[in-house]
Amino acid sequence: MKLRRKLFASKDPYDCTKSELFLGACKENFTHLINNCEDYKKICDGLGIHSPDDIKSPADIPVIPTMLMKQHDFRSGRYMIMATSSGTSGKMSHVRFEFGALIAALKMSIKVTRYHGIMSFRPCRYIVMGYKPHRSNKTAVAKTAYLTTFLAPAISRRFILKHTSDGYKPDFDSIIKALEKYEKGKAPVRFMGFPSYTFFLFRMLEEKGLSFKLPKGSKIMLGGGWKQFYQEAADKETFYKLAKKTLNIDEENITEFFGAVEHPILYTDCSAHHFHVPVYSNIVIRDPDTLEPLEMGKTGLVNLISPLCKATPILSIMTDDLGILHDGSTCPCGVKSPYLEIVGRVAPEDIKTCAAGAADILQGVKV
Amino acid sequence: MILFDGKTYESSEQDRLLTELEKRIPEILAKKQLSPEVVIEAVACLREDLLKGRFDDLLSSFPSDVVETYKIQAEALLSEEHLHKKLETELGNTFEYVTDYIKGFKQIRVKKMPLGVLFHISAGNMDFLPAYSLAEGLMTGNINILKLPSADNGLSLKLIMQLIEYRPELKDYIYVFDTSSSDIQGMRKMAELSNAISVWGSDMAIEAVRGLAPTGVKIIEWGQKLGFCYITRLDEAEDADKELEGLASHIATTKQLLCSSCQVIYLDTSDIEELKSFAGRFLPILENAVNRNKTEEIGIRARDTLVSYTQRLKGLLGEEEKHENVLRGRSCSVIISADNILELSPMMCNVLVKPLPRDKIGEVLYKSRYHLQTAGLICPEEDRRHLAELFTQCGLIRVTKASDMSAYFPGECHDGEYALSRYVRIVNVEE
Repeated sequence: MKLRRKLFASKDPYDCTKSELFLGACKENFTHLINNCEDYKKICDGLGIHSPDDIKSPADIPVIPTMLMKQHDFRSGRYMIMATSSGTSGKMSHVRFEFGALIAALKMSIKVTRYHGIMSFRPCRYIVMGYKPHRSNKTAVAKTAYLTTFLAPAISRRFILKHTSDGYKPDFDSIIKALEKYEKGKAPVRFMGFPSYTFFLFRMLEEKGLSFKLPKGSKIMLGGGWKQFYQEAADKETFYKLAKKTLNIDEENITEFFGAVEHPILYTDCSAHHFHVPVYSNIVIRDPDTLEPLEMGKTGLVNLISPLCKATPILSIMTDDLGILHDGSTCPCGVKSPYLEIVGRVAPEDIKTCAAGAADILQGVKV
Repeated sequence: MILFDGKTYESSEQDRLLTELEKRIPEILAKKQLSPEVVIEAVACLREDLLKGRFDDLLSSFPSDVVETYKIQAEALLSEEHLHKKLETELGNTFEYVTDYIKGFKQIRVKKMPLGVLFHISAGNMDFLPAYSLAEGLMTGNINILKLPSADNGLSLKLIMQLIEYRPELKDYIYVFDTSSSDIQGMRKMAELSNAISVWGSDMAIEAVRGLAPTGVKIIEWGQKLGFCYITRLDEAEDADKELEGLASHIATTKQLLCSSCQVIYLDTSDIEELKSFAGRFLPILENAVNRNKTEEIGIRARDTLVSYTQRLKGLLGEEEKHENVLRGRSCSVIISADNILELSPMMCNVLVKPLPRDKIGEVLYKSRYHLQTAGLICPEEDRRHLAELFTQCGLIRVTKASDMSAYFPGECHDGEYALSRYVRIVNVEE
């Protein structure tokens, strides 16, 4: 995995001159996968991609939909840790990472967070708008949310989703109490987690007529997507206004992350709130009818490509998001790489069928 | 949302309401019996309001031509006349009678009575199935507990609430829960309150229900079926192209999601070359039909594409050489397969084409006996009767024209039985 090492060692996380290195690292990863994962090889052979020589561009790499990963467990070699997707619709995919992937991910995280000024040595208080770690929760979202609380030294950590006997429940009241305390202190506060809960918190504060002046340097970091709250999804302008109004946090101190357990690349929005594609990945937007690659500016299925991981064949995956890839060369932030806009999701996955086996009824339940 | 005693409640109140239901059921059973006339009247009111356009808002999520088709169907099928006819067809005209006197024996009164409590676990693949299944339970006088499918869009509940609005006495007989399928305790409790469980779904769903049901409860299964089309002497069939267009249109409109949908097109041949030439002829016809029925909604198109791509990859994982002959069109494909197994296609307009010479029909269908339902025919007129007989002898329930495989025929049974007759019991009382 020489080329992967080289790619993830790139100094500039948005270097646009590394496309050849990227393709090379992908081919290197592909070679490993077809030699170590029989199922992956079967798929590649079936799709007519038999060797790395058949790959002329990242778009040629066989695409594995996350939909399939939720139904089929792929393995391609030894691993150190396993993460699962959060299973919005009840099914999860399992992704395993080997040591080399973790090192590459760590290098990437340091470079990207440093680039965006999120790494800091100033101690702060964390409010995680997500899951409190619990042994029963293996989701990557819980893990990454927790990990981000190490980007600056933590004085304290509070979690909005508490594990109760009935599963996870949001506990807004304890967060309000904490805010009352933190407002009087000096340490900056960092919010981290699901945008949906953060937005609900803003709305609740607004309805109750509450507002806080949090210490300077406080930040809001958003990740994990809007999940089942798509219909509630606030437009970003409203979100920024409410953040200012209720917590006194300015727009430039709000950062959003995008990623998926099946594509653990850290996408961080720039000052213009665009998710530029870093050097570690490529994105192909595909035609919703034919899966052929689309040109920039067109809406389609989002195909995410990265040679980060060896232990699971996630080299080229397709999520059930719909997105647009925009030309980034004129973005005021200075990064030239294209940027991704997620515009929605495909219709619910549990398609209505009796022939396929009324998937929604007692799926997988053995009683 | 829960519908209980004519009122709606939050899903979180399920446990309390189920406990209350346990007390209510014996009271209702002992008190009175629901007359089918009440149900027929309520349904007829629903039909009238539907035709007047009172529910147009509710139906706005459907394409306008679909709404039109639904209205035409509702006009005929929900009429008092048709419902009376349905009662007579499905329960017979011997609802209550006294047996003839036979020397040496006493006479009895024979009567059809409701089973008691029916628990409906409905599938989400037909837009009005949950409400329809409930209406059948009501027409036979049963108390109905309905578990909505997770894919239900709120339409079922609204229609059911309308029925109660027309005839408030129905409220004692209707309990609708939006329980999740993973709520085993809730499902088990509902099963324990019931005399019978009417379950629509896959083999897996039915197996799970069998596991969850208490011993003694009657399980009324409406299981997963596989439809196919049988083509013989295509060039001698009257207007073969039109027949093929009908088949393509059936595939494109049902997207192969229904039990009656065509999964496999069988040709009366064992010659693979003949299959290939048929596939080449059929692909553009299918492509046209798919294009005509294409939805503009990008989320749905993308999902359909993802589902069929995922199915295709699953096929590669299973038997990598099996589907080597695939003719791909835009948003559809014709997959040539040399075996003759009746199986699920990748769906979403990806149809299998297989050889099935006439002398092999019995053997192939026997292997699929648990999943047989509909066969569509494309053949010369003089072969129709013979083939229909052959197929029904081999276990098929419906034999139709290829274009009508999923059509509704008034008076038809479902999976070989009349639903209403499965929802009643026969009692004998000595005279």
